[in-house]
Order: sequence, then structure tokens, then C-alpha cells
Amino acid sequence: MFRSLINKLIPVQSCGFHTTSCLNEVQLLTRLRVVDNSEIGKRAMAEGKPPKVICVYNKKRVGYIGDRVLVAIKGQKKKGILVGLKQTQKVKVPKFDSNNVVLIDDNGTPLGTRIHVPIPTILRTILKEKTHAKGADYTKLLGIATRFV
Amino acid sequence: MNQADVSKLVSKLRIKVPPKHRKLSSPQGPEGRLNKLRKTVTGLIKYERIELNYRRADEARQYAERLISEAISHGDCHKPTMEIADYWLLEKQLVHKLFKVLVPRYENCNTAFTKMYKAPQAYYGRHIDKAVLELRGNPYPTLTNKQSNNRLLLQNVLLDAAKYDYRQAKYAEMAEKLGKTEEVKSGQSNEDRNKPSN
Amino acid sequence: MSLVIRKSTVEILCAAKWIFRRDCRLLSTLPEKTEIVVDEKERIPGRKTRSYNPILENRHVYPEFLPDPNPNWRNSLREKMERADMLKRRSQIDIPEFYVGSILAVTISDPHAQGKTNRFVGICIERKGCGLRAEFTLRNVVDHQGIEVRYELYDPTIQSIQVLRLEKRLDDKLLYLRDALPEYCTFPLDMDPEILPEGTPVPINPVQVKLKPRPWLERWERQELKGVSNIEEHLKEKDRVRRELRKTPWEKYDLMKNYRKTIPAEEQSEIWNEVYNQLQQMRVSRKKMSRKRTVTTPKTQLA
Repeated sequence: MFRSLINKLIPVQSCGFHTTSCLNEVQLLTRLRVVDNSEIGKRAMAEGKPPKVICVYNKKRVGYIGDRVLVAIKGQKKKGILVGLKQTQKVKVPKFDSNNVVLIDDNGTPLGTRIHVPIPTILRTILKEKTHAKGADYTKLLGIATRFV
Repeated sequence: MNQADVSKLVSKLRIKVPPKHRKLSSPQGPEGRLNKLRKTVTGLIKYERIELNYRRADEARQYAERLISEAISHGDCHKPTMEIADYWLLEKQLVHKLFKVLVPRYENCNTAFTKMYKAPQAYYGRHIDKAVLELRGNPYPTLTNKQSNNRLLLQNVLLDAAKYDYRQAKYAEMAEKLGKTEEVKSGQSNEDRNKPSN
Repeated sequence: MSLVIRKSTVEILCAAKWIFRRDCRLLSTLPEKTEIVVDEKERIPGRKTRSYNPILENRHVYPEFLPDPNPNWRNSLREKMERADMLKRRSQIDIPEFYVGSILAVTISDPHAQGKTNRFVGICIERKGCGLRAEFTLRNVVDHQGIEVRYELYDPTIQSIQVLRLEKRLDDKLLYLRDALPEYCTFPLDMDPEILPEGTPVPINPVQVKLKPRPWLERWERQELKGVSNIEEHLKEKDRVRRELRKTPWEKYDLMKNYRKTIPAEEQSEIWNEVYNQLQQMRVSRKKMSRKRTVTTPKTQLA
């Protein structure tokens, strides 16, 4: 009792900022890397103004692999699909050095014609699950991928 | 789940090792803690028996055990061990004592190298657990006073005498009883009466 | 009658003796303030052999067989069962000897992939975990994109683990490759395995990588890395001062800290005695198999 009171009175030496490692989560205002060859994406990356996340379409508001995001890119709003994350992944799911996004339109058709980085194979299953019969068809994205890991 | 560190091999300690270290409060942090323990370990190797606070004694005991076991397993020609001994023993002549006196003493020892006892607390003042820490095989008289079997102790002499008296009284009583029964059953042998008195 | 009396007297004597002995002990303890606190462990039969024990060298090859050093997480039964399971898995699939810094090719059966198998090649940058949870991480740069994949060593979906280049690096963990220039961890996916001649020790690759300019993922300058060459170029005066302040030179002398990180030699030799024979048998039978295969393949080609 007495000791705990003393401990409370004496200020504990602390460094003033938290030192836990960062989670690298995709959330609001995260910068992403466009990895397809769509005109707008290429220009944004070349200008050094990568797109920012302005909405993640899921309940948790944290983007995981295969999630749909709304990004602000060159003054426009575009939708995209996360195809590679920096965050620590589950076993056997690849972890990338950057947060990659492929831009799509409302029907799920990708804006570009080619993806120039590897795509995790687990996206096949995830995107198939997300596609509904009359809604957008996200599996078109898999057709333009060059390599799977 | 961590992997065990495989770069070094250590021999098992013969004392109980708690899962976490004790924090000895020190403004210099972990370095200050080790400096405190260095003083204690040096004192223990030098005087072979010391009395100190329980918490610090228990920590210092583990370090002293490790130091001796390292010295035994590597010998004095091993450079890292020599550095460790040099760090832990503040007085340099004690390094010689460690390798030339303590290592031969404990080389074939199957038990822990140190002993720890709980020491009595001061009657007044703050209640802090005290302990006596000593090296095994030290030249001092033993601390444990296990003399309950010493027949020449005054208490034991008195007790023996009391026992003897009690027994005599009992035998006399029994003999009386037996005499009475004999009278009733006249013709029985005297063996029964004689036996208990033997 | 006589019997009865004898019995009763004996009983009385016994009782008296018992009482007196107890009294004796109670009274005759002299002012004995000290009492033994921590009793030493029971005498260990057979002293530790001071000579070099070759069986303990297995700890470098199979570190996951050693349990977690934290005593709160120890459970001898669970550890034993895990070891049995690991041996069973090893009898099914060849898990070769590899170290951090070796280049591996891992083939897994992947329900998501088109051919239902997936192969990845990369340098092992980290090994962690013990028992059935042992993991290793492979890193590679494919199409200018750094990729890391974490595998469990005893995962049943792993079809094969192949060591393409068996070597060690200067450090225990190569996490700094994430911040290094990409050429240091770029390996072609169709790399050929390099076979070491038998009996040679595992070579240590003395290559020192160059780091990219900051920002970095970790403060590499504080970790005393041997495998990085250009760390001083990227530091400011402030970082050097901080590094000096943060140094912990006393830690290598903290004998109990080191002790709590490892498994003592006596416990290790118990574990190795339990598993060594089976591991050795597996290794020998694998060698025989591989020799047979090398002999048979040219014949089939001829035919």
C-alpha cells in the first residue's frame, strides 16, 4: 500500500512517446502504390503524389488483403483493390514491401491492362467470394496479373 | 514462443531459479543493479559467509553459483570466462581464489555451491527479511545447531534422568499388580514378573 | 494372561519413548534462530562431464527441438509429445539442415493456385518459434517488389523444402535486408541448387550489404550488425550520441540473463539422447535414397 503510493508520487522515467512497433495498417489517409499500368495511376506515381485512402469498404475500417478502398488520386475519387500489404500477414500469405493497389471502376473492371508486380494467390479465392452474381465482378483483376506468388 | 539461445552452453544450476529476475531499486537501472550484485558476490567470495537482506542475497546467490559453475566448466585458460570473473570480482586477488581454491573445492560437488539461511529479524524497526549467505565448505563453525542427539547436553541429561525415574515408578507399579494377581492365582511361575524389569 | 501383560507393557514403553523423544527434541534445541531456507536440489547422480559432448552440437542444426526457455511455458509432457510429432513429420518429408542466410525453395500445396502447388525461392532471414510452431521467413525480390513469406516448418501442406545454397551469414537475423539495396536479396526463381562436398563445414558468407538511405524500419545502428557496411554514412551526430547512450555493455556479463535465455546442457543432452538416434537413422536412409536416385537416373536416360 505504502510502496504503491510512493511509486505513484515519484514520476516514472519515460521517454514520452510510445515505442511499440508500427502495425503498417491501411486506414484513412494511408498512401498506396498503384501497381497497374492505368494512365492516371502511372501519372500519379510519376509525379510523386501517390493515392490516399479516403474510405475502406469494410466494417473494421482497416484494409486487409482483397479489400475494396476508395482513393483520392490526382483530384479524383477512384476505387481500388488492395493486392499486397506491408502489414504482417498470416502464415503462407506473402507480405510485400509496399501497400499495393489496383484501380478498378464501379463494375470491377480494372482501369489498366497489366499488373507489373506479383499478386498473392490467395486473392483468387478472396475475390471470388466477394463477387456476387449481379454485382461487380472483381475476378477480372486476376486476368491482367502477370505473376502469382 | 521463443527459440532457445544456442550460441552458448551453460551447465544447470543446482538451486531453484525463479522465472524472472528481481529488480533491486537503483537509479542507474540495470547497470546499477549489477553493480550492487557485484559488490555482494565479491564479498561472498572474499568472506565466504555474509549476512544481508534476503532479496539481494537470493539474487547474488544465483550469480555466485553461475560464476563458479562457469569457472569449473571452462577453467582459467578460457578468455571470456576470465573476463566474466574479472567483471564480477572487484578485488583482483579473488580471481586467483576463484580458480585456484574454489574450483578444486567444488569440482566433484554434486550439490549447490552456496547455502542460504533465513536470519532473525531485528526486534524493532522495519521488518526486512534478512538472510545469511555462505559458501559450502567454509572454515567457520556451522550455523545450524543440530545438537538434539547430543546426550551430554544439560537438557538431555535431565530428560534422561526423568525418563529413568518414570520408568522405575512404572515397573514398581507393575510389579505390585503382578504380585496381587499371583496371590490370587497361586502356583504361577515367576518369569512374568521378572521379564519387564529386564 | 502373561501375553497380555507383555503386550501392554511394550505399548506403554513405546508410548513413553515417543513422548519423551518429542519432548527431547523440543527442549534440547538450543537458541536456534537460523533455519534452512532454500534446500538444495537433491543430489544429482553422476557429475556433468566436462569433456566436449558431440551430441550437443545438434542444437545448431535442429534448434526447434529445444523447448522454450521461459519456465512459465514449460510442460514436459507436451514437449515430449511435440517432439514425437516432429519426428513423425520428419519421417514423411525431408526437412534439410539450413540456417539463417541459406537460400531455400519451398513448395506448398496451395488450394488457391492454379496448379494447386506454389513454389517460392528466397533467402531465410529469420527462424523463430520452437516445437511444432517453428517458423522461418523467406525473402526475395520479384519484379522489383520485395516479398516475404512466412512458413511453418512442420506445416503438413509443405510438399518439399530444398536448400539451394547452404551457408550462414554474419548475423543471427537478416531483417536488415528489408532496408538494404534490392540486389542483395534478389534471387532467380529458377536457381540451381549448389551441392557442397560432403564433410565440409557450413561456409559463412562474409558479404556486407549496403543500406538504402533513411528512413529505416528499425534503428539498425544500435544493433551492432556485422553484415552492414555503410551504416555510418547515413547517421547524424545526434544518432551517434544516442547510440552511445543506449549501449548496454554490461549485458554480456549478466550471467543469469544469459542463463534464462538458454536451455542448460544437462537438459539438452536428455532431449538429444531421446531424438538423436531417429534423426540419424533418417539422415542415413535419405542419403542412401539419394545415392540410389543418382545412380538410376542416367540408366533411364540411356534406355
